[in-house]
Amino acid sequence: MLAYTLRRIAQLVPVLLVLSMAVFAFVEALPGSIVDTLIGTEGGDIEEARAILTKEYGLDRPVHERYVLWLGRALQGDFGKSLVTRRPISTELLSRIPATVYLASVGIVLSMLIAVPLGTFAAVRRNSAVDYTAQVTSLAGISIPEFWFAILCVLLFSLYLGWLPSSGYVSPFEDFWGSLQFLILPAAAIGFRQAAFTTRLTRSSMLDELSKEYVDTARALGHSERKVIFKYTLRNAMIPTITISGLQLANLLGGTVVLESIFAWPGIGRAIFEAILQRDYPLIQAGVLVLGFIVVVMNLLVDLTYRLLNPRVKFA
Amino acid sequence: MSELEADKLVDGTLAWRAPPAPLRSRRLATALSNAWHELRKSRTASIGAVMLVLLFGACIGTPWLATHDPIKQNYRERLQPPSEKHLLGTDRLGRDIYSRLLYGGRRLVTIAVVAVVLSLAVGVPFGVLTGYFGGLADTIGMRIVDGLLAFPGLLLYLLFVTVAQAWKLEGVMIDLVLVSALALAGMPEKARLARGSVLAEKQKEYVEASRAVGDAPVNIALSQVLPNIVSPLIVTATVRLGFVILIVAALSFLGLGTPPPTPDWGADLSAARDYMETHPLIAAFPGLAICYTVLAFNLFGDGLRDILDPRLAER
Repeated sequence: MLAYTLRRIAQLVPVLLVLSMAVFAFVEALPGSIVDTLIGTEGGDIEEARAILTKEYGLDRPVHERYVLWLGRALQGDFGKSLVTRRPISTELLSRIPATVYLASVGIVLSMLIAVPLGTFAAVRRNSAVDYTAQVTSLAGISIPEFWFAILCVLLFSLYLGWLPSSGYVSPFEDFWGSLQFLILPAAAIGFRQAAFTTRLTRSSMLDELSKEYVDTARALGHSERKVIFKYTLRNAMIPTITISGLQLANLLGGTVVLESIFAWPGIGRAIFEAILQRDYPLIQAGVLVLGFIVVVMNLLVDLTYRLLNPRVKFA
Repeated sequence: MSELEADKLVDGTLAWRAPPAPLRSRRLATALSNAWHELRKSRTASIGAVMLVLLFGACIGTPWLATHDPIKQNYRERLQPPSEKHLLGTDRLGRDIYSRLLYGGRRLVTIAVVAVVLSLAVGVPFGVLTGYFGGLADTIGMRIVDGLLAFPGLLLYLLFVTVAQAWKLEGVMIDLVLVSALALAGMPEKARLARGSVLAEKQKEYVEASRAVGDAPVNIALSQVLPNIVSPLIVTATVRLGFVILIVAALSFLGLGTPPPTPDWGADLSAARDYMETHPLIAAFPGLAICYTVLAFNLFGDGLRDILDPRLAER
């Protein structure tokens, strides 16, 4: 296990290098020099500012040297300053991470609370009304665009019924109950959509387990159906479900751009979206790099957990 | 006398000749009815197929089906409910929603299909060749794929769109950038799938036989192994089409797609938000259109998977 873990960590290095090169190439692909973009916001003596900035960003050097310079700074957490707020990008991004983690993890927990009982029940009572309903709902769930579903929720619960605020954010550390009000709609929008995937998966892996021989053995030994399902099959069937939920969580940490902007949720996805609207290129660059890093590390953690849960997988 | 024998008798040899037109159309009809017969095995696949035929029919027939110019504004007829003149009503600028849906769908489906075909065209040979040859090429290839997969959610598209905006690209060029971003993002999935199947297929006897008769390795990989791993690829591509449509709609919902007044489901939906409380129908139609399209691809893909992999169908 240790050797495998170390090897997987070593494999991360080239992946992160590819990611960083892609992100670096993005800024290189922008028209004109970054200095022109910066000058636009600086004012003052243009020629002098140009010279200083050219030197600071190393624009007088060849591309590969600039990349190394940039990467070296990024590794130390120095992404430069935001063009809009003039604050260090690292502080900007760090302040946005908690809101995204909060929303994404509550959303995933919610999706598992829906999906695991529903998927299990659908598999156990195969071809029943519940199974049919679960299948139809989850197919609908993966086909409905999340932003439309979110809008419909806002229309129903905020505008017509007036039960919940349509958008906004309160930190759970300041006012826990107040924060929940704002959390419910976006978390439900995430939870419903992810549950659609997880229900299908739980159902099919549960069916897979139920068709195995150990289940027949357990039944032949006279164990109750309840024990067969909860003690034996469900545990095995949960392995892929947990894995997929972990991957979904990783993806959500970087992928809630749309929901965060609908619900004015001050997370990292919305920070990047706003940076795009304001042409804050260094912030976009750093944001994508940081999120990519989080996703890669999360994926590794999920993979290692999978192997801990499922010792049958060989450490090839 | 069978059709095949009739072909042979023309000059007594086995040389292939183009069959006469009626025969060709009869053969096409047979092929189609065979395909339909296969599809009937799965109810989901047949429902999906019918939905897709309607969808593609509407996309092709758009110029004839549309009743109005999708861009022309008419301030006298703003925010009208569905009527005989405007089948689905009009939007905030008095544009015919039904015609906008048709033109928007035609564009969206075209973008999605081109993007997925492109990602197959790049990803599949990539996966087949790295999988078949293995070694260093495989290691490097798969690290590139992992690097691309590290971009979560929409971020890769956001980068591409930002560059496109910075260059002040317009019209088709924006769509091209979007298509290439979608193709690039879809490529790893196809490459991995193709590689996985090739690794299993490589061990089989026919590959060894081809090698024994001295076929070139690239030939074996692309013309012998590739046809044998097509079915999982078709299924993935179909499901991916629905996914791509969701992404494109989400991007234009965020205002990062083609700028107005181009008809666009995502952008129209976003614009309808301001009138949601008073005129909820305006926001309903583009949303329903997206759902229908994605559902059609998902149903068809699901059913196709059951047909092509009968082991799964029993579940």
